[in-house]
Amino acid sequence: MRIQAAALLACVLSVTGYAPADIAPPGKVKALNAPDDKGNQVEVYWTPSPNDAVPGAIQGYVIYRHKVETGEGLESIPTEWDPDLFAGSEPIGDVPYGVTEFVDENGEPDTTYLYGVAAVTENEQSSVTLASDLVTPRMEWINKGKIWFLIIMLTISGVLIWFVRHAKKGGEVKVRKIAGLEAVSEAVGRATEMGREVLFVPGILDINDIQTVAGITVLSNVARTSAEYDAQLEVPTARSLVMTTARETVQAAYLGAGRPDAYDENRIYYLTDEQFGYTAGVQGKMVRDKPAACFYMGAFYAESLILAETGNSIGAIQVAGTAMPSQLPFFVAACDYTLIGEEFFAASAYLSGDPEQLGSLKGQDVGKVIATFLLVIGCLLATLAGVSGPEKGSDAEPGAFHTSMQDATDYIKQNILGKEGFMVEADRGSFEETEANTGGGGDQ
Amino acid sequence: MTDTPTLDPDKIKVILATDCGSTTTKAILIQYVDGGYRQTHRGEAPTTVEKPFADVTMGVVNSVTEIGELAGRKLVGDDGRIITPATDTEGCDIYISTSSAGGGLQMMVAGVIAEMTAASAKRAALGAGSIVMDVIAANDGRRPHEQIQRIRDLRPDMILLSGGTDGGTTDKVVQLAELIAPAKPQPRFGSDYEMPIIYAGNNQAQGSVSEVFSEGGFDLQIVDNLRPVLERENLGPARDKIHDIFLEHVMAQAPGYDKLMGWTGAPIMPTPGAVGDILQTVARIQGINVVGVDIGGATTDVFSVFDETFNRTVSANLGMSYSISNVCAEATMPNVLRWVPFDMDERELRNHVKNKMIRPTTIPQTREALMFEQAVAREALRLAYKQHKEFATTLKGVQQQRTVGDTFTQETGGETIVNNMKLDLLVASGGVLSHAPRMHQTAMLLIDAFEPEGITMLAKDSIFMMPHLGVLASVHPKAAEEVFDRDCLIYLGTCVAAAGNVKAGKTAFSWSFNGHSGEIKGGEMDLIDLPLGETATITINPVRGVDLGAGPGKKVEREIKGGTVGVILDGRGRPLALPEERTACQATIQGWIDSCDMYVEEEATAAV
Repeated sequence: MRIQAAALLACVLSVTGYAPADIAPPGKVKALNAPDDKGNQVEVYWTPSPNDAVPGAIQGYVIYRHKVETGEGLESIPTEWDPDLFAGSEPIGDVPYGVTEFVDENGEPDTTYLYGVAAVTENEQSSVTLASDLVTPRMEWINKGKIWFLIIMLTISGVLIWFVRHAKKGGEVKVRKIAGLEAVSEAVGRATEMGREVLFVPGILDINDIQTVAGITVLSNVARTSAEYDAQLEVPTARSLVMTTARETVQAAYLGAGRPDAYDENRIYYLTDEQFGYTAGVQGKMVRDKPAACFYMGAFYAESLILAETGNSIGAIQVAGTAMPSQLPFFVAACDYTLIGEEFFAASAYLSGDPEQLGSLKGQDVGKVIATFLLVIGCLLATLAGVSGPEKGSDAEPGAFHTSMQDATDYIKQNILGKEGFMVEADRGSFEETEANTGGGGDQ
Repeated sequence: MTDTPTLDPDKIKVILATDCGSTTTKAILIQYVDGGYRQTHRGEAPTTVEKPFADVTMGVVNSVTEIGELAGRKLVGDDGRIITPATDTEGCDIYISTSSAGGGLQMMVAGVIAEMTAASAKRAALGAGSIVMDVIAANDGRRPHEQIQRIRDLRPDMILLSGGTDGGTTDKVVQLAELIAPAKPQPRFGSDYEMPIIYAGNNQAQGSVSEVFSEGGFDLQIVDNLRPVLERENLGPARDKIHDIFLEHVMAQAPGYDKLMGWTGAPIMPTPGAVGDILQTVARIQGINVVGVDIGGATTDVFSVFDETFNRTVSANLGMSYSISNVCAEATMPNVLRWVPFDMDERELRNHVKNKMIRPTTIPQTREALMFEQAVAREALRLAYKQHKEFATTLKGVQQQRTVGDTFTQETGGETIVNNMKLDLLVASGGVLSHAPRMHQTAMLLIDAFEPEGITMLAKDSIFMMPHLGVLASVHPKAAEEVFDRDCLIYLGTCVAAAGNVKAGKTAFSWSFNGHSGEIKGGEMDLIDLPLGETATITINPVRGVDLGAGPGKKVEREIKGGTVGVILDGRGRPLALPEERTACQATIQGWIDSCDMYVEEEATAAV
């Protein structure tokens, strides 16, 4: 805050032409278009003011930016700060002493700027040193720092497209058997043979939750099977919107099965939004009517075990599906079949057998395999680097194996998962290095 | 139930048994010799159920007379009846018979859910030895009018109606009855004969079902529910009732059977039902798992007993003559030809297949034709066994009890109970297997088609004696088991097959017995001599990942029986994979043929 106050003061002083002679300005200033950005960043580097070497002599630096308009007479770069020419310019930022770089993130793409830097004390400012070149921030189409993400994304997309096309052409897309979904017909069949109803509980969250949506997908299949077997399907809901969606879904399923006459919307009803009120309602229904098949598909919290235990006690075949990790053990222990996390979301593709959905599912699996592979490799390299390094407190030089393992670990962290791209770039954190990297020329 | 006099099994010393097939009536004589029961003589004669004879007993008397002449024992009296009881020189203590004449027992079954009560009804019908013509279920995908039309088109001997657990659905069961009643299916035999309906469903729907069939034209018989709860099957009462109706209605309508039933000392059984009974008896007495197969011209029957659970399937379109075209179509010609070690002209083969279909009694005239026919047999057996595995399952609709440990290993109901690793005895019958020129060919056909794993005994029923023994098992199980073991089966040998991760060219397992030892590599087979009647203790050390019965990589030490073929060591792995490329496939097959001495020149000429 103090630096900002000083900068404002300096600005006022500068525009009035006041420039104290006892603070030396930065030596040279260079402004460069920042790489791999969307065209809004400019990197500014400078050589420090001689006063910077004296502790407490300056508080820091302020950075000025001037938008260069056509016809301002800037055919050549001014060498000195001209208060008349840059009237109205305000510092765009400040840094404390010792720092010699600044990234301006508020530039506009394809707009030319002139930057300047001045050293400031608490109430004084040096003259402004102007950048040697004008700079125009430009957007780069490819962020080279994230080139690995591009490669991984293209790989996964390519695999996904390949599988979709493969499936469309009639090729085999093997999806492992999901017991919980295979058991739908078995559960509904049991209810039919026993002359009892099928109960479907679509979770306690609203329709905007992805688990509820996945549950409704399974409901469609359960409803279709119920229609084909002429079994009674009952769907109590905890949200009004879920009830509406469930009604639409079940009606469509009955229609698809050629049994629109068997559809009864009164069997899909709303109980209450209140968690345990809903649970008590469903539990009472189960104890009274003893459904032979119970499906729990959606988001569940503490009510999961209450419902599943009640269903188990009445001898129903129970199939559960949720992505709630904390509730899965309860469902697994109390239900006949449980769809775990991803299985639940894969239900739509699995049940429909639609080539596009199956291909997409397979492609996503390949993505997960790549992620798992990187995870395993990363863990392995980090472990090897850890165990092969010198002991803590030891002065021994690390061996070549440790160095190579550490380099590989760093590469994964910084290049594949970080922002370094293919190769580790040199740090452009000083004026001299920038000069060296750019060959002395500005990136305009 | 037919009333038969109860005989003391210990007093039964001479047993006469016949099997009245569609074309041949086969008779065998079993006698108590040297402290044990042995099959001593056999005879056969054409079946005389059709016109102009129209009396099945004529064929029976002819075949029995042949046996009598061979045995020097008078079995048929001057009145034309079989003489009972036995004396020192004539007659028999008991006469028993099976029958498959006139197409056997044909049934239609119905249940509420195809995979539950309808499947149980089908198991009951097949187990009783019938051919199931169709299964009607609420979820079979057909509209009611299509179901009614189908029932009208069928002419079953009887209908088995099931559905609902006790106290379960009534509506659906009555709906099924209401499909059958107006369809008024007509029986195959006898226009004055009322269609027998066996109701074995929900006990609370019995009244409603009776009401539906009360209008006449049906003979409704009510038995206990075959699925009182979904967790348990109770097929016994339904099977018994099927046998009773088979005798009282179906057999009574067939020419001469009323007379034959008066001669027998035990109820006449449908032939496949009797085969099932003997296999169950043997499996129970010896404590083993058994698979039996009977490959005929039109159908292939597969029987299995795993952990005392019996299953039978009839693959109606898989056979070696009338159904040979269907085998080639279903298996596809490339799959058939992969078993043939040389190039064959496909057009010529198709002609051969069609000729076999229209002239079913022809036999192969050349070695090439024999190889091709055995290739077709392999595929027919493979497909029939596949169907059997799909049918022989655990019950569906059963509540599962889980623990958290089951999180990633949830198994569904309806998994097959057929486990080749647990299979102890594989029995073959049927022309192509029983009458193969060399027993080695029979053994290889069984191994290639059934892919037994671990240690499995191979045998064949060369004269198809199992039906006779099936009926005998109902009156004298000990005699049936003794004859089955000593005379019915011809032991081919023991198959020692590796399952699991077998790598081609790498050692699959090492073995040793009777001073012999060696190694079997992946993809290879070997044949070691162990004569019939001898036993040996084999020690097998499989490599890691290969299973011979004790688990992957674990040593196995077991007693094995010898046979006419010997011990077949199979390192090909399971499932059996043949090279895709034709030349490589031919070379592989030729290698296996050579290893097992399947075809040798002398035998090939003998086959001509």
